[in-house]
Amino acid sequence: MKHILQVLKFEYMGCVKTKSFIISTAIFMALIILLAFLPGIIMSAQGGNDGDEHQEKPVIAVADHVYDGNKLVEGIFAKNYPAYEIHITDEDVESLRAKVDSQTYDFAVVLNDAQNITYITKNNVMFSTHNEKLQQTLNEMYQTISFEKLGVSAKDSMQILSAQMKINTITTGTDETHNYFATYALMMLLYMAIIMYGQMVSQSVVSEKNTRAMEMLITCAKPSHLMFGKVIGSGLAGLTQMVLIVSTALVSLNTLSKNSLPQNVMEFLHFPLSTVLYALLFFILGYFIYTFLLGALSSMASRSEDLNTLISPVMILVVAAFMIVVMAINSGNVNSTMMIVCSYIPFTAPMAMFARVSMSDVAVWEIILSVAVQMASVYLFGRLAAAIYRIGVLMYGNPPKPMQIFKMLREQGKN
Amino acid sequence: MELTINNIDKHFGEKEVLRDVSLTAKSGSALGLLGRNGAGKTTTIRIVMGVFLPDKGTVCVDGKPIDRSKIRIGYMPEERGLYPKKRIDEQLIYLAMLRGMNKTDARNACGKWLNRMGMGEYQQKKLETLSKGNQQKIQLAATLMCNPQIVILDEPFSGLDPVNAMLLKDVIKEMIAGGAVVLFSSHQMNYIEEFCDSIAILNGGKIVLEGRIADIKHSYPRDKIAVASGQIEQIAPFVLQHMSGEVLSAEKDKDNQNTLMIRLQSSDSKAKLLACLSEGGFDVDAFRVCEPSMNDIFVQYTEAGI
Repeated sequence: MKHILQVLKFEYMGCVKTKSFIISTAIFMALIILLAFLPGIIMSAQGGNDGDEHQEKPVIAVADHVYDGNKLVEGIFAKNYPAYEIHITDEDVESLRAKVDSQTYDFAVVLNDAQNITYITKNNVMFSTHNEKLQQTLNEMYQTISFEKLGVSAKDSMQILSAQMKINTITTGTDETHNYFATYALMMLLYMAIIMYGQMVSQSVVSEKNTRAMEMLITCAKPSHLMFGKVIGSGLAGLTQMVLIVSTALVSLNTLSKNSLPQNVMEFLHFPLSTVLYALLFFILGYFIYTFLLGALSSMASRSEDLNTLISPVMILVVAAFMIVVMAINSGNVNSTMMIVCSYIPFTAPMAMFARVSMSDVAVWEIILSVAVQMASVYLFGRLAAAIYRIGVLMYGNPPKPMQIFKMLREQGKN
Repeated sequence: MELTINNIDKHFGEKEVLRDVSLTAKSGSALGLLGRNGAGKTTTIRIVMGVFLPDKGTVCVDGKPIDRSKIRIGYMPEERGLYPKKRIDEQLIYLAMLRGMNKTDARNACGKWLNRMGMGEYQQKKLETLSKGNQQKIQLAATLMCNPQIVILDEPFSGLDPVNAMLLKDVIKEMIAGGAVVLFSSHQMNYIEEFCDSIAILNGGKIVLEGRIADIKHSYPRDKIAVASGQIEQIAPFVLQHMSGEVLSAEKDKDNQNTLMIRLQSSDSKAKLLACLSEGGFDVDAFRVCEPSMNDIFVQYTEAGI
């Protein structure tokens, strides 16, 4: 135990004190602070534009061939596009096209017929709400004018047609829409942490072998102690980095950009403490599950060139687990059969169960079972890794094949 | 203190690496562990260090199974083992603490040994910035820092210049005089002869020769005499003539122009040969029994292959 602590401390300090660690953490933190400032900067820039009286408003050209100069056409456009100047014209399509292209007009609408409209725009942006808004405006126009013809006043019909229902949502479980952002962000961190720190442990194991520092270490402490110390030490270093980054993010969002961010964005960023604690729990479990395997596999490599081939199966597992869970989050159903199965498979469980817990309502027994499965895997993988490590660290030359490892493990078991 | 290795067997998979290996090393003396590459030296050392468990046999100190938590062992591996990219003092203190020292003692020992090696000024440097010979000295400091009772040195002289080799010799002699058990493995036979009272030669996983160097050399027939003189051209026919029957051959040494190698029928005729030379009135510079060199002994016992 004393050895594990000593190795842990050495590995932790060795990791935290490296230039690359300090620089990457600093860059991350600076980026986050910068990002937190950004909305404020953008807003104030926009605000400045709004206040400028002389700023020309973009123009919408409407060529009306249907309503015969009805004042409602301009009125309804003006109501729906307050930031624009509405220009009623009788130019033909060609001329409108030229003017839209030269940006004299932001866009142009030609009413050919009550339900047949030509929309001329310079760039049609995907996923923009522009088309929807136009559709809505034109519908409103058609309906209001039609009602007017039937004797309902424009004011009355507009009021009826543009009535908005206010929906008050009461959620009894977890609101999936609510935690979406937080889950996504924390999942991303979880994934990055496993890949980054897993790789770090692998590298450090191989370099100890490569530089033969292992020859000395192995005579001072048991291989299993060396491995546990290294894995836990690097994990703590990773955790330190994560805590620094996450807390910078939280602090700067809550202070620097508190007032500049729109209300709905702030709501996205608000997530319960339990989500953070779950993230921490699943980070620890996931980290150990993967890092034990990576550590054991890397101990088989004598040079860093061999490392990639050895650890790529594990890396593929991490990526696959991440993809599965991300797809489930995006599909909106984090409790699909696939996800339920995944939350009990050691390799996918940390991410799958985390997504489920933070985005939906999961029975307590399910959480306990999943955590138990993961803890058991950590224990088993830890023991297996210690056994492989013991063989691996003193082996040089080509990495052995899986069958050879199995044979050696059996021999070792006999001793 | 006495370190004994009793009847050790070790297999790796199908391959038998050590068979019935037994050794004894006493405090205040050095044991030379010899053998060709792959003979099993490193495996033997690792078994002593407790890195491997033997399939059979024991490692004992003063007759009791070794307790590695109580006995301090300093090991210098052949394949040098330190972190090139870490600060020298940091890693030395770390290794000493893993061996059970507390931080203050480790720091003091680190300073003391680095100064002893003339490396005090490099304490805070990274290891990789040092030359090979200096790295070697750091390695030796790492080995000796915990004030070991058993010192195991695997090729300690490789890469050292003559001045540093002298420094290392002094340090090793100090350790021996201080009562440490020293296990010394090297292919440089001159060093073995210089430090070791006893040797053990491993070949193919078995001990093929063990004992005190003096005894081993003495066990060879002492019937070969080297005579150094400026007149060997005259001496050769003279002794062959005057001691015919007792002198089998008298030939010029291949490596030394002024030395005549004389083979006697029996080592008892030495005195007579000396008398014969003075009778002839030759100017003799040296007269000695030709002992086999360590090199000869090593080659003789390991030539058969592994």
